[in-house]
Amino acid sequence: MKDVILLTIDALRKDALGCYGRGKELTPFIDSLQSQCIRFTRGQATGPYTQASFPGILTSSYYLEYGKPKGLSPHRTLVSEPLKQAGIVTAAFHSNPYLCDFLGWNRGWDFFYDSMEEEVSSRMPYIKGNVINAKVTEWLSSYSAAGDGKPFFLWLHYMDIHEPYIPERKYVDMVDSSITMSQDEMYSLFENTLLKRDVSDPEKVTLLKKLYDMHVREVDTYVQDFFNTLDQLGILKDSVVIMTSDHGDEFNEHGSLSHDDKMNSELIDIPLIIYGAGKNGICDTLVSNADIPPTIVHLFGLDPVKKFEGHSLLPLDGYPEKGCFGEAIDQRGQRGGDIEKDSYFYREKDLKIICHAGVDRWELYDLNQDPNEVNNIIDTSPAAEELRSKLKPRMRRWLS
Amino acid sequence: MTGQEKEKRCAELVGKSKEVIREAFKKFNPADIAITWTGGKDSTTNLWIIRQVCAEDNIDLPKVMTIDEGDAFPEITDFLIKMSQKWNIDVEWLCNFDVLKCCQSHLGNIVRVKDLNERNRAELKRIRVEQDSFTFEAESEAGNHLMKTVVFNQFVEENNISAMFMALRRDEQATRKHDEYFTKKEGGYLMPEHTRISTILHFTERDIWNTIKSYNIPYCSLYEIGYRSLGARTSSNPGKVGVPAWEQDIEHVPERAGRRQDKEKAMERMRQLGYM
Repeated sequence: MKDVILLTIDALRKDALGCYGRGKELTPFIDSLQSQCIRFTRGQATGPYTQASFPGILTSSYYLEYGKPKGLSPHRTLVSEPLKQAGIVTAAFHSNPYLCDFLGWNRGWDFFYDSMEEEVSSRMPYIKGNVINAKVTEWLSSYSAAGDGKPFFLWLHYMDIHEPYIPERKYVDMVDSSITMSQDEMYSLFENTLLKRDVSDPEKVTLLKKLYDMHVREVDTYVQDFFNTLDQLGILKDSVVIMTSDHGDEFNEHGSLSHDDKMNSELIDIPLIIYGAGKNGICDTLVSNADIPPTIVHLFGLDPVKKFEGHSLLPLDGYPEKGCFGEAIDQRGQRGGDIEKDSYFYREKDLKIICHAGVDRWELYDLNQDPNEVNNIIDTSPAAEELRSKLKPRMRRWLS
Repeated sequence: MTGQEKEKRCAELVGKSKEVIREAFKKFNPADIAITWTGGKDSTTNLWIIRQVCAEDNIDLPKVMTIDEGDAFPEITDFLIKMSQKWNIDVEWLCNFDVLKCCQSHLGNIVRVKDLNERNRAELKRIRVEQDSFTFEAESEAGNHLMKTVVFNQFVEENNISAMFMALRRDEQATRKHDEYFTKKEGGYLMPEHTRISTILHFTERDIWNTIKSYNIPYCSLYEIGYRSLGARTSSNPGKVGVPAWEQDIEHVPERAGRRQDKEKAMERMRQLGYM
């Protein structure tokens, strides 16, 4: 049996990766793996920010499924729980406060590192990928030294692409050495432009995107270092590595910055790549990140978990054709978000319907014709009524 | 464990701590080291061991500091005063009096930012607290920063402290499992550079109580009535009321029941990431 590794990268847009068609290569290492991967071209997040998306990635359930969101509901099943029960060693390494022990994510792990004890700064409000790698390496070394042959499930998460976008000089130079901004200037761009969601100056938006790209380049080196470690420890050949992100990031595609509550492609389309599963190639089927936990359980040869709402991505030919769903609450209001400002999407093949429930505003896009989602065809599309009727029952079920 | 085994283990644990302390005195000039003392069981045991080494090796006890965050248990304050007299220690009491003045030393009162002195205003700006006022709570983000971090940093800077003896234990949290005795904290945005020396890292909560009992180390009376971990008054809760800490199910029930601090930490990170 192979070990399974879930490698997640915060805020990584699908279109930032070379293997997903970006011209200039920011991800040479990840791209170089593609001959040994299954690459899903239509992966969908279950929400546009961490709290909304990670219930899909780690619990195969939806954000608003268990009432008003306040940390991870005990009713959800983290993928680590059935694995640990089956005798698989489980370990987690990350630095995202929304996934910390305090909020309930430390369940079913033999080892859980959330970095909340570390001192961080506003300039770098998380533990960097190289430090995550060092901690993972230490754990893997002691694991392989113990040599008791138990299979393991490892989850690691890199935060480095997440704002405030203050890349180190060497990554600046790798992407665009003509940028001479100081770190103070980068921080002020974050405070004065990004935090204010100010898109009035296109040059500043372009600059923000460049800084973002530099972090993408940085993370590619962490992925490379991580794979090298796996190889050196003799673990890589016996591992399946699932790589994905929790959501993307917006650079004025739809009038804003960062990742709030929108359901557009720059936030919802995610890279999803499976390395080392035997089969390789490209899969164009529409899939959800809620399919990840069932896939992990399948890879360990365990019985499906009833509570999981997704479906195993493997074997590929057993995957049912189905729609994808996601939801979010506007986070910009007061803490915890304004419950009156909730949004939902449902996608079938290349048609995506979005509803902003608080204002009863509907959008429908044909992503095949209109990948940038600028022509709302809700009033003209013959498919509108059927999609609306499919999304409606999923909306606001959490209020009752 | 028999009484004899217990005592042997305690002697070994204390011996290990003494090695760490002696190593620290080789690495750093004792005059540039400070000891943090909260009055809790861990930092009192820690101080007790350091005092022993100083007496044995004829070294002056490094500076001892304690932070009054404006929400201390009177029992702890009494204990600190009583013990500092008994042990003849000149304790540095650190306190951000400016904040206390602005809220009449009363928890829950509103602090208006414009009433604060320049340094405190600048500090709030630094952590991006931009409201005009905040409620004074020791472990809120603003309260925590002003009452603890700011005074701590000021102390380290003004006394040219290069290392601090601290009373962290590996068993407090899973994430401390791999901690080292000496941890260099790089100077940066929120703190000046210094090295943390965790003298009693290898003790468990049970070891602390066994050591306190076998060496008759004094402890604050709150542990007798059920508290297991003492922080700020409003965010510490007793474990089992009326049952002394050392008689509780230490091995199975977590030590830190008051988790207020963890929440504030998470909120601060979220804010730094640009949320809220």
